[in-house]
Amino acid sequence: MYEKHLMICGATGCLSSGSQAVEEALIKELKKHKIKDKFRLVMGGCPGFCEVGPIIVVYPDEVFYCRLKPKHMAEVVEKHLLEGEIVEHLLYKGPDTEAPARFFDTIPFYAKQKFNVLRNSGIIDPESIDEYIMRGGYRAFSRALAMEPAEICEEVKSAGLRGRGGAGFSTGLKWEFTLNASGQKKYVVCNADEGDPGAFMDRSILEGDPHAILEGMLICARATGANEGYVYCRAEYPLAIKRLKIAIDKAEEYGLLGEKILGYDFNFKINIKEGAGAFVCGEETALLASIEGKRGMPRPRPPFPAQSGLFGKPTTINNVETLANIPLIVKEGGAAEFASVGTEGSKGTKVFALAGKIRNTGLCEVPMGITVREIIYDVGGGIKGGRKFKAVQAGGPSGGCIPAEQLDLPIDYDSLNKAGAIMGSGGLVVMDERTCMVDLARYFLSFTQKESCGKCTPCREGTKRMLEILNRITEGEGKLKDLDVLDSMAYSIKDSSLCGLGQTCPNPVLSTIRYFRNEYEEHITDKFCRAGVCKPLFNYRIDADKCTGCTVCAKACPVNAISGEKKKPHEINLDLCTNCGNCIEKCRFDSIIIEPVGREADVSN
Amino acid sequence: MEKFIDHCCEKCTHTKETPCKDFIRCCVEGPICHEDPACVAKRKAIIEKVAINDQFVIC
Repeated sequence: MYEKHLMICGATGCLSSGSQAVEEALIKELKKHKIKDKFRLVMGGCPGFCEVGPIIVVYPDEVFYCRLKPKHMAEVVEKHLLEGEIVEHLLYKGPDTEAPARFFDTIPFYAKQKFNVLRNSGIIDPESIDEYIMRGGYRAFSRALAMEPAEICEEVKSAGLRGRGGAGFSTGLKWEFTLNASGQKKYVVCNADEGDPGAFMDRSILEGDPHAILEGMLICARATGANEGYVYCRAEYPLAIKRLKIAIDKAEEYGLLGEKILGYDFNFKINIKEGAGAFVCGEETALLASIEGKRGMPRPRPPFPAQSGLFGKPTTINNVETLANIPLIVKEGGAAEFASVGTEGSKGTKVFALAGKIRNTGLCEVPMGITVREIIYDVGGGIKGGRKFKAVQAGGPSGGCIPAEQLDLPIDYDSLNKAGAIMGSGGLVVMDERTCMVDLARYFLSFTQKESCGKCTPCREGTKRMLEILNRITEGEGKLKDLDVLDSMAYSIKDSSLCGLGQTCPNPVLSTIRYFRNEYEEHITDKFCRAGVCKPLFNYRIDADKCTGCTVCAKACPVNAISGEKKKPHEINLDLCTNCGNCIEKCRFDSIIIEPVGREADVSN
Repeated sequence: MEKFIDHCCEKCTHTKETPCKDFIRCCVEGPICHEDPACVAKRKAIIEKVAINDQFVIC
């Protein structure tokens, strides 16, 4: 028996902020005090709060230590582990807490979350099948083995689970199509080709709870009559792939993968296919082509994969998060429990990756129907630097933006669609007043334009032409009629593209024109970017009334464009200034003003 | 018995080749096919080693 369990976040986010070094320092300290055998250390899954990583949670005390460095480990061992005293200064402290907070019950980031998919992340050792079984793992699969395939499909349908990869199609119905398709050989494919910028939901699930995905695939196979599966995961997720491989090996050792599984007439094996990272391979037919060893390009549908998918056989393709929900639904009484959370049309929870100008970046799992405001302010802690919320991009490059006026919009499939955005896979990129919406649309379109496979003309040529127009607008060369051209091209591309990439890539342009048309017009007619992003369309000026002459801006300027005496107002030499923005970022007195080129008007408001 | 896949005694016959339909339930609640406090204790020992709190095990 161990005295305590120290769960160190070993997911990619915390690893990149140094959790490996923290673990090594902890081991060194435990060895120094000759107490290593008394405490269990696990490099576990992600507890979600990436902003404050590296994180260690000490159980059973449930103490949440954050922003750790190797130098803190001596104190954790000597004070907490040896003397039982909590190290206060390593607890979470934020503008949203009055006192240092210990764990879920007191940290506002967790207050509105509900853990279904992330139920085991940071709780179990992701490389241990025994711990997954202790947490109720593989029980739903055992139950599914004793059920008729149609019964399983019916349960998944009754739960109301909709695909978490983006389109939101009924998962149970999708399974039923494959079940009813004729053929001896059928496949299950897990789409782990998560490609949206700023999204890492699937990666965290795979890293933190890989057996949940295997169990979801096993149940799907049982329900649809499949006997082989593939996980298509991008090669840039090495930790997820490593943990999946370990999980598959363990499941085979335990007889949960292979032939005559648990004595039933049911065989299933799982292969991993590493993708090269093309965004279009997240589209199901392109993904299937890639598994088959062909170039990752989509094909027209019908036939849909449920009729003719991988190697021409009936295939079910589900996203990682969708599959992670399956064991919860197929367990005894699970369908009703699942359906009791969420809204009428969108059941269950959704995992979101919070990124951008938000205070609490990280991963959160919230009930469907929660409002944008609750996610941004209650979970996300509001906007960094106390700035104003401007919009949130939901659904990545295929999605759309939700402006501040719609902060009370409930997050569910139908409400997001009505607002011009999509649920997508769950990436939420938050923007403040310093984000230029024209530049944002240009960024997302440049991403999809580069990732377009080039097979169909509307996507290949259309995105290029739209991008040329957006580039022109951000360079001050736009014309008002460009907005009509963008609008008309966007709908043509949506209507005539072959796959989801082309059909959705104009969304960021359409939604920014819909909600921020004034910004486009300002770029075109006033040649002004009020966010201070499009460099040819603004100048910086120092407000002499506000400047205290602290010299911070002058020191931060990389081209020595700012001059002035100490404690006296400074000036910017516009001939030298490159509009890099260092000065405005550093100024604590709001004395740097963004103004139109060639005019001296105070437009800071 | 260090892992659930290990046999608790000679009465357990679950292997990949000779699978038991109740294997998953047996891991945490077993043994199911026979009664033996020593076999129960072996499973409990595996659980107690890693269970981080009282709510860890879900049946």
